[in-house]
Amino acid sequence: MPVKGLHTVLVDSFLALKEGQEKQLSVVLEVKNLSKSFIGVQALKDISLTIRAGEIHCLAGENGCGKSTLVKSISGVYTPDLGEIILNGHSYHSLTPVQAMHEGVQVIYQDLSLFSHMSAAENIAIGRLKFENRAFVNWKEIHRIAEEQLRKIGVEMDLTRPVGELSMANRQLTAILRALAQNAKILFMDEPTTALTKKEVERLLHIMEDLKEKGLAIVFISHKLDEIFSVADTITIFRDGEKIGDFESSELNERKLSYYMTGREVEYPRYHRTRKETEEILELRDLGRRGQYENISLKVRPGDIIGLTGLLGAGRTEIAMSLFGLNPVHKGSVYIDKREVRLRSPMEAKRHGIALVPEDRFRQGLFIERKIKENISSAILDRISTRGILNRKEEALTAQTYVDTLKVRTPSIDTVVGTLSGGNQQKVVIAKWTAAKPRVFIMDTPTVGIDIGSKSEIYEQIHSFARDGMAVILISDEIQEILANCNRVLVLAEGKEVAFLEEEDLNREDAAERLSELIGGQGGQKDETGEVVL
Amino acid sequence: MRGKLDQFQKILLGVIVLYSIFVTIKNPAFFSMETLFDLIRTSSASMIVAIGLLVVMISGGIDVSFMAVALFGSYTTINLMISLGINSLVFAFGFSALLGLLLGLVNALLINWLKLPTFIITLGTQNLFHGIMTTFISDKSFGAGVLPSCLHGFGQAVLLKLPTENGSTALTVSLIPVALAGILTWFLLYHTMIGRGIVAIGNDEEAARRAGFRPFFLRLFVYGYFGILSGVMGIVYTAQNNALYPNKLVGDELMVVAAVVIGGTKITGGQGKILGAVLGTAIIYLLNSTLILIGLSSSWNNLFVGAILVISVAVTSYQERIKNRNHLIFTE
Amino acid sequence: MQRIKTIVLEDLNISILTGVTLLILLLCAFAFGNSMYSLKNIQSMAFQIPEFGFLALAMMMSNLIGGIDLSIIATANTVAVFTALLLNGSWPLGLDGWPLVIAAAIIGMLISLLFGLFNGLLIARTSAPPIIATLGTMTLFQGIGMALTGGSSVGNIIAEFAELGKLKLLEIPFIFWLFLLAAGILWFVLTYTAFGRSLYLYGGNSVAARFSAISNERLCISVFLITGLLAGLSGLIILSRVNSAKVGYGDSYLLQTMIVCVIGGIHPNGGIGKVQGVVIAVLLMRVMSSAFTIMSLSPYTKKLIWGFMLLLVLGLNYMVSVFYEARKRKRERKGEGV
Repeated sequence: MPVKGLHTVLVDSFLALKEGQEKQLSVVLEVKNLSKSFIGVQALKDISLTIRAGEIHCLAGENGCGKSTLVKSISGVYTPDLGEIILNGHSYHSLTPVQAMHEGVQVIYQDLSLFSHMSAAENIAIGRLKFENRAFVNWKEIHRIAEEQLRKIGVEMDLTRPVGELSMANRQLTAILRALAQNAKILFMDEPTTALTKKEVERLLHIMEDLKEKGLAIVFISHKLDEIFSVADTITIFRDGEKIGDFESSELNERKLSYYMTGREVEYPRYHRTRKETEEILELRDLGRRGQYENISLKVRPGDIIGLTGLLGAGRTEIAMSLFGLNPVHKGSVYIDKREVRLRSPMEAKRHGIALVPEDRFRQGLFIERKIKENISSAILDRISTRGILNRKEEALTAQTYVDTLKVRTPSIDTVVGTLSGGNQQKVVIAKWTAAKPRVFIMDTPTVGIDIGSKSEIYEQIHSFARDGMAVILISDEIQEILANCNRVLVLAEGKEVAFLEEEDLNREDAAERLSELIGGQGGQKDETGEVVL
Repeated sequence: MRGKLDQFQKILLGVIVLYSIFVTIKNPAFFSMETLFDLIRTSSASMIVAIGLLVVMISGGIDVSFMAVALFGSYTTINLMISLGINSLVFAFGFSALLGLLLGLVNALLINWLKLPTFIITLGTQNLFHGIMTTFISDKSFGAGVLPSCLHGFGQAVLLKLPTENGSTALTVSLIPVALAGILTWFLLYHTMIGRGIVAIGNDEEAARRAGFRPFFLRLFVYGYFGILSGVMGIVYTAQNNALYPNKLVGDELMVVAAVVIGGTKITGGQGKILGAVLGTAIIYLLNSTLILIGLSSSWNNLFVGAILVISVAVTSYQERIKNRNHLIFTE
Repeated sequence: MQRIKTIVLEDLNISILTGVTLLILLLCAFAFGNSMYSLKNIQSMAFQIPEFGFLALAMMMSNLIGGIDLSIIATANTVAVFTALLLNGSWPLGLDGWPLVIAAAIIGMLISLLFGLFNGLLIARTSAPPIIATLGTMTLFQGIGMALTGGSSVGNIIAEFAELGKLKLLEIPFIFWLFLLAAGILWFVLTYTAFGRSLYLYGGNSVAARFSAISNERLCISVFLITGLLAGLSGLIILSRVNSAKVGYGDSYLLQTMIVCVIGGIHPNGGIGKVQGVVIAVLLMRVMSSAFTIMSLSPYTKKLIWGFMLLLVLGLNYMVSVFYEARKRKRERKGEGV
């Protein structure tokens, strides 16, 4: 059978050729023995790394493991203490942002760094025009550049609208197009999928595959295991500023990966409700707010830790804000101890025993320039003062109590909060509201960006709150976090309830997979104009 | 989008038109080319600095030293011209603009260095510049007789003369520097990278830095440019009034800030239109010149300007707040 | 010794300020001797301080919450105009003598509270940036005063009111006592009350204050009520000293109040600063003004000096903070593991 033989030969040689190509894939970036420390914290310890063109390289690790520091060192934001960065064969000890751009380094930060009052087209083109050192702006060219990038990845988008009016998915897309417009050779994407629906994520991953085929090196930073596995060729795992190792995607499974990332086999201890009360403290009946969420009903008993999950913008933070009096509802009602209440301000929410640990620690949670005790007493000023006069002894006493309870590591309660580590700062925010002795404690993604030690201590604390009869609503999109803490879970998508999982659902083997399916949701996210995008 | 009128400017135009109709009904003499030409003449100096201030506010700052800069530039230049016997318009504008540029750069350097609210810093430089001028240069007054004749000529020069019932009315040359400032600034903001960089740092300075812009140089440019416009404005002002006193101009800067804010420019940066600044200035001068026509004395001026400013600030801020709250963004 | 060191470091700004003030007082003693420190000159300074002092306290309050209130001088003058119109009988209240003085003063204070309320509502309800909002109300309040007076000064007020401005208790002017009282009350409120604390918190991070169930709207309105009242009191003092009211009086005070706040350690971005600092800075400012008068400097030269001083102090503050940060970092590096 000569024909078949020939065919085999051809295939074989093709495969060999391809393999050869793969071996020859040029090295775009080489990092050698990079170290970087901040005040008292070693953020990167002796990191070495190689990234080749045409591969999707995933940097995996928990929050605060050093991934972001590494990216910022390569893109010229930080100056490393020690080590070498080799880009396209040029060696640097440290780079300026402009040098990094000249070497084709493009970073899409989590905040996207877009100009919200400028059109999408301009956002896409402006970096390139700046990069080319243009003196003048030609709007036709701007639109041509932007449309050219759109064609590269074959999607449609309204380029004339200001970015501030676009959906999260389209903003993400704008940021990618901007990087492409600048002839990126190596593209860093920092948690690009946080705010996207499953469909949008799939589209994004598809685009990434596409770009990889065109010879781009993509470095993908994520802590979502399923996404890592679906696209990554190589995975580098970080933990506490150290590199654990490089792995082929095929060498790992989710369990192993998670083990390497966290450094422990066992997950966090699971919470089980032990309280016997059946009467609910808090009930939401058919709650709705136009454009955000609708028909939300929920009953919360003492000792419940209810998980509120879904994508960013699915309605979770929106509901939390409504319960905290910052986001007025248009429909439905809230009951506390079976009595209908109106929550029009945080003061009213506090009066009804509702507390909120907000999503944005720096802007919403902390007074960064003030002392720990002043932070802790900020929500109970009325309680620790008599006829308007602050009782400072009581303030110090209360602060010390809650610093101890929450294991805030600090030399004293007079320490300025800004000097604490992320984990300890978050504990201060929790302490502040614990001091107010809430009955319903809402925590919006309380462990984002903090170290594992603090994380497990915060979990323990949440469990003990619930055991003492508090009702907790925990907002999170980390499946492990939900499984470890919640005894019931409300899953949201596009402002609607898609599932309500009881304890027995959560105890099942496939709970994690099911949750991840549910969170991903179906259907495209709607743009503000109502057009489905991506 | 670009070039077209936005909602806010439509409202401003509407207000101007309605008010003009109202004045015309009260006093038909108002509706004439004469009024228009008069308005252009009286407002032209302020228009120039309003356009410059717009650029500063788009970049996310504010400047209250520009009147001191204008005075410093023109006063020093004229002092020099008189003592050296120079009689050249080119020198007058050129030298005044140069001085303006230098003082603008001083502002920019201080702002870059201290990283404090630009209002406070420029309030300091306002007094510093004015003090240096009056202490170290001169504090004499220049009346009509002593000014170089070229300035008088510029102040009287006419672009267009139209016959009216009682004689004629004329469009003064001062329209030219305003138009030039407007066109130049428009070109700068919309057709140069520097301009887009200015808008970018006003939007988000960190993002601009990541995109490769250098806020330090952009700020030097912005305040330098405003300095140049201020210097030019000082000469236009002197030529129109045919006199110059060392205590004029300084103290009137907040009225120009008011004009630019009425024009829809946000103090938070990144937003603002040239037409808005022009319309804002026009409203203030329209009120200024027509209160008498509707039977009120000019001392009612501030009341009306204040009311318009308060309403405009309240409406725009409230809209922004509602929009932000719907997106769960809290700014205070 | 250690204790003193901690106290000095704790309040670096006020310590430096006190040192500089003492130094300047001494210098003035050498340079001008009796013309500066005669009882007469000290008394005359004590008469001049309050009108400016109240404005400085008003500016301080708005700075503490991270805003600049441009409308304080307009408030002072327009309140003075209203009160003057009551006191000279243009708007008859049907009273005379002291009852008229008291009634007019109360109405004057109510009007200043009203102006403060207007500012507060505008800023709290629309989230307008204070500086722009008060630019508007400044023009508006001025406009009200102008519309009432046509720009001319309102005088002819009854003599009793002017006596208040000349009254002395224990050789110290009554209005100076008033200033000390106001500063004392503010010091107490800011240091010891829950309201004072929430004000500092709001100034440090107003969003976090909202998320800590502090009523931002109420706080903001309260602060502007206080600011309005302080400015209005300054207007009443001006009226009693000058015997007439005029829109546009004391325009140069705007810069000076801001200098005094900056020198006094009030951070213009809010949340940092103490009344003590401002009071010392007000005294310092007055002594310097007095020295300028003795040296018969022109108003232009004063302007130059004030402008220079503002920038100088901002620069010094900046350098001190940079130095302080660097030291702190060094100390932290030594004692790692915190």
